[in-house]
Amino acid sequence: MGKSVYLIENLRFSYKENHFELSVEKLEIEPGTIISMLGPNGSGKTTFLLLLGLIFPPSQGQIMVYGENPWTSAEKVLERRRELVLVPYPSYMFKGSVFDNLCFGLKIRGVPEKEWKSRVGEALEMVDLSGFEEVLASELSSGQAQRLALARALVIKPRVLLFDEPTASIDSNRVSTIEGLITEVNQKQGATIIFSTHNFSQGFRLADQVIYLSNGKITEYGHENYFSGKAETDGKISWLEPKKGVKIFFPGVYQGRVTCAIKPNQIELLPYEQKKMISGPNLFFGRVTRLEMADNDIALIRVSGQLNFRVNLRIEELAMKKVSLSREILVRFAPEVVEVIK
Amino acid sequence: MIEVAVELFQIIWLSIRVSGVAVLIAMVLAIPLALFLAYKNFRGKRLVILINQTLMAAPTVVIGLLLYFLLSRTGPLGKFGLLYTPTGIIIGQVVLILPILIGFSYTAISQVDKRARLTAISLGASSYQTGWLVLGEAKFPLLVAILAGFARAFSEVGIAMMLGGNIRQYTRTITTAIALESAKGEFTNGVILGVLLLTITLGINLLVNIGLRAKE
Repeated sequence: MGKSVYLIENLRFSYKENHFELSVEKLEIEPGTIISMLGPNGSGKTTFLLLLGLIFPPSQGQIMVYGENPWTSAEKVLERRRELVLVPYPSYMFKGSVFDNLCFGLKIRGVPEKEWKSRVGEALEMVDLSGFEEVLASELSSGQAQRLALARALVIKPRVLLFDEPTASIDSNRVSTIEGLITEVNQKQGATIIFSTHNFSQGFRLADQVIYLSNGKITEYGHENYFSGKAETDGKISWLEPKKGVKIFFPGVYQGRVTCAIKPNQIELLPYEQKKMISGPNLFFGRVTRLEMADNDIALIRVSGQLNFRVNLRIEELAMKKVSLSREILVRFAPEVVEVIK
Repeated sequence: MIEVAVELFQIIWLSIRVSGVAVLIAMVLAIPLALFLAYKNFRGKRLVILINQTLMAAPTVVIGLLLYFLLSRTGPLGKFGLLYTPTGIIIGQVVLILPILIGFSYTAISQVDKRARLTAISLGASSYQTGWLVLGEAKFPLLVAILAGFARAFSEVGIAMMLGGNIRQYTRTITTAIALESAKGEFTNGVILGVLLLTITLGINLLVNIGLRAKE
């Protein structure tokens, strides 16, 4: 494996206008990986993407890109910026046609004009917009504009693609196309892809690694279950209500906004028939909506119901726990396994 | 009759030429300055904008008078012999319309969606390429700024009179000719020249608008 795409150390960034601060102690991103960035609104996802896209420099610390700090000269920043492309959300279309928009990145990189047509056609095909070359970009719907923004980045064939909420305005029947595209670009072009999303399922499904941001800090880095909300306490035990009437209990005294993390292998699945025999905190019911076999004899299960959970189970336990697709199931975990992130 | 027509043509041509050159020079200076004002934050930026806004309303005779002192034989720039020349009028008109072009261009550039610049930068554009893109996004309001500048220069009389001197077949513009005809009591000629001035301005505006429509 070559040099890390990013090596971030003691990064700090704050805006002059408010008290928000993004801080990342250490993070290394290997080439060819897909990273998803999850977290509530205002947690710093977009700011982090802008820093990764070298749009502005960090206030402190450094971001090494392919082994060097680009912020030592304007030329280096520009050189590195041309290897990585950020697709902001909401996307902006330049005045002119779809073709003009797609050519912008090629033109500024000095790509020969004879290549433009074929590369534009290829990129448009990837996002299901073939034949739109002459259409005015201002006439596109928001979903089409977002797909065009993706194509405008793809046409450049960068080494790193940074997407801010790539499927936010895309209609539901095309989301899978974009998701497929992310995987395809990663596999065929070997591009490193970092994207932010509010869709936990999407974040975990597509990514090799997941970054969870909360209040400007990376709180976790892995496949976890996260729930955020306002914690309440009776002085002994605390709980939060991510959904009305559904409480997650955890030990300790907490008040105010918190995020809870529960590891998928610490969640127990029980046959739904045992519902009347079991009681206690953190018992939920749902239905198995996804069942995938991982390489290491582990089944990756998604349970959707009162709350949505990701659960890891050994394959041989599937039959014992009566776990199969679409089947109703009970989910339980001890309050002690709930990790609270303030 | 032919002599009158030739002289009239000379007056019109000089008016268009000096105002056109003044607009070109002012544009080259104003647009980079407007870009700088729109995208760079510095101490005293608001004050600079305020001063520029004030200068946009500067009376032409005041500008004419100040430049007269500078360009007159005994003034600091007297040795260049620019007083009572078309170049003198051009200098005056540049000074007159520069704040207008800066102000209007600043507004035009500031109104471009912030995401345009961000998108250009994120796609790998250099500062220069980003600047060009932003100007392209603001081309219609920028064109309005240029037209406003031209109209102001074309229709002003104070500077053309004080720095040009209204010399027949040399520095006489439409507006100084109107002033002369009025002073002579030839009001009909003055009105005809006024209508001519407005017709030319209308024609230029029409041409630009037709050009824009075709481009759209």
